[in-house]
Amino acid sequence: MKGAQATLQYLTAQGIDRVFGYPGGAIMPLYDALLDSPVRHYLCRHEQGAAFAAIGYARSTNQVGVCIATSGPGATNLITSLADAKLDSVPLVVITGQVARAAMGTDAFQEVDVLGLSLSICKHSMQVMSPEDLVPSLQHAFRIASEGRPGPVLVDIPKDILLMEVPEFEPEDQGALTLPQPDEQTIEAANQLLDNSQRPVVYVGGGVGMADAVQELRHFIARNNLPAVCTLKGLGSADTDHPGYLGMLGMHGLAAANLAVQGCDLLIAIGARLDDRVTGKLDEFAPHAKLLHLDIDPAEIHKRRQADVSLLGDLKQILPQLTCPQDKTEWLERMATLKAEKALTYSSHSGDGQIHAPSLLRSLSDLAETDAIVTCDVGQHQMWVAQHMLFSHPTCHLSSGGLGTMGFGLPAAIGAQVANPNKQVVAVCGDGSFMMNVQELGTLRRYQMPVKILILDNQRLGMVKQWQELFHEQRYSETDLSDNPEFSRLAQAFDIEAEQIQSAEQVIPALKRMLSHPGPYLLHVRLDHKDNVWPIVPPNTANHQMWEQPR
Amino acid sequence: MNYQIDLLLADQPAVLERVLQTTRYRGFRINQLNMQPTASQLKVSMQVYGKQPINILTTQLHKLYDLASLECQAQQNSTLGRRSLAAQTLPKTA
Ligand SMILES: Cc1ncc(C[n+]2csc(CCOP(=O)(O)OP(=O)(O)O)c2C)c(N)n1
Repeated sequence: MKGAQATLQYLTAQGIDRVFGYPGGAIMPLYDALLDSPVRHYLCRHEQGAAFAAIGYARSTNQVGVCIATSGPGATNLITSLADAKLDSVPLVVITGQVARAAMGTDAFQEVDVLGLSLSICKHSMQVMSPEDLVPSLQHAFRIASEGRPGPVLVDIPKDILLMEVPEFEPEDQGALTLPQPDEQTIEAANQLLDNSQRPVVYVGGGVGMADAVQELRHFIARNNLPAVCTLKGLGSADTDHPGYLGMLGMHGLAAANLAVQGCDLLIAIGARLDDRVTGKLDEFAPHAKLLHLDIDPAEIHKRRQADVSLLGDLKQILPQLTCPQDKTEWLERMATLKAEKALTYSSHSGDGQIHAPSLLRSLSDLAETDAIVTCDVGQHQMWVAQHMLFSHPTCHLSSGGLGTMGFGLPAAIGAQVANPNKQVVAVCGDGSFMMNVQELGTLRRYQMPVKILILDNQRLGMVKQWQELFHEQRYSETDLSDNPEFSRLAQAFDIEAEQIQSAEQVIPALKRMLSHPGPYLLHVRLDHKDNVWPIVPPNTANHQMWEQPR
Repeated sequence: MNYQIDLLLADQPAVLERVLQTTRYRGFRINQLNMQPTASQLKVSMQVYGKQPINILTTQLHKLYDLASLECQAQQNSTLGRRSLAAQTLPKTA
């Protein structure tokens, strides 16, 4: 069997039946073999889009996403997506074609040292240098991508190896990875911390969803009557109906969430890494709290803050062991009161007739199905989604967190729809971000996937504009996008039905039309460019000193 | 603070680059470096300098898939002369 067939046969054996990619010279043998393979390939219109689609596939299913590209420009176009997957711990296997071995190192046509380029933005990368290594490398790649803390793995395959006879794949039992387990004493110490605390707060990160520990987390919170806050990637993990659920914390966190953390005496970080967007000024973050840190990655413990007790291992195993007999209901009630005091209010008719994104997104949250998948671009609209929409599971909210990559929303939605053909998938896009992967409208058209696109158009690079307004003396440099294209006509060019709205009373009917439309749909929403995201924690400021509203 | 780090690595392409990149990115400077292939592995010893706790670096080096073992000692300080925590094997979970 040739290398190309062996690669696809291995994918099939892994249960991978859908992949994303873009062909080219060095990877042609694999594309040729695809014609005779049961693996279904989705052609995206840019390698970045293909890899974001694989990320959307992976994040919406908690399974490995696969993406294929050619050497040189195909490979370099993947770089941003690899970094995105690395920073958000997304399990990906990315296969790139390379020039034939004899040409390597000669600056051959479309030769790029993708192995070298990928080292710092992949969990691991490999270059297959002999036919015997091809299948074992793939086997390695799948294992590394998904075990422990997930991440992207690159496999670079020279063209001649794809064309050569390679040894048949023989399934070999690699044995399951033994995850570390905290010893009894450490669990006891953690429970002691819990029991001794008067004001504990649970701080939920993306690790919970990736460890498939959502139920365990919810039981832990309910059993111990604990208030909880979530990171951007943690949204959907905690039960939003729990009285102590306070929403997202951090730079654009909700006031109650930030105040709870700043006042707590025990912070229980679960699958979270104390990222700077979460902590604000680090030495004033949760200043009265001891830290109990649960994670699968030893490198995250003590990285940004010394933990008082740390539990290293599988959250699914650890969470059921944590318990405190002491009653915390009084503290929980205080937090529920704080939550009520700081609750967001939405008025459907704010008087000016303009559409305000927060109330539109709250309506979308109410109207969409409970298991709808919402993807985002990056900017103000992304923060509004995180603040104002509720998610029933972390796989329902796909947002580029660590890298904050504009252009993520549309291709991620395509990948999520491929993985979940029967679910509602909505991409909430910024007018700036949308243009960064606008070519993927072509992918939607080709596969007629019913992805809904909601463009929140403020004719600005809104988040940057907000910072210019607040922290750069209103010196607006290169953030005006008032010459945006006519988005609904753009959609029509791809046979995608579209509509444009600009006043508040149009919102509900338009959202209903969009959600009930059987095919792809683009809803272009015109917003007031003056709207900003509140609260905001200014740079170098403690989270409790957030600005809650315009000054 | 200066540290002596001894690594045993699988002799794979790019393995040295990985060690160097990780060390630089985590904020440590290499003062001395020695690399020697053995029958099937690569022995690397390096002296590094950095202001941060050394665990910031060693926990990241532990994540390299080609790493077989790592030992680390603090230098120029008698109380820290013993093997630091980093010498313990960490699970490859990240
Ligand atoms: C690829 C990329 N380039 C630049 C940035 C910096 N950036 C962050 S938010 C933002 C503005 C985004 O504008 P838009 O998509 O219109 O969303 P809005 O903030 O207006 O909701 C920019 C330029 C980024 N995050 N990603």
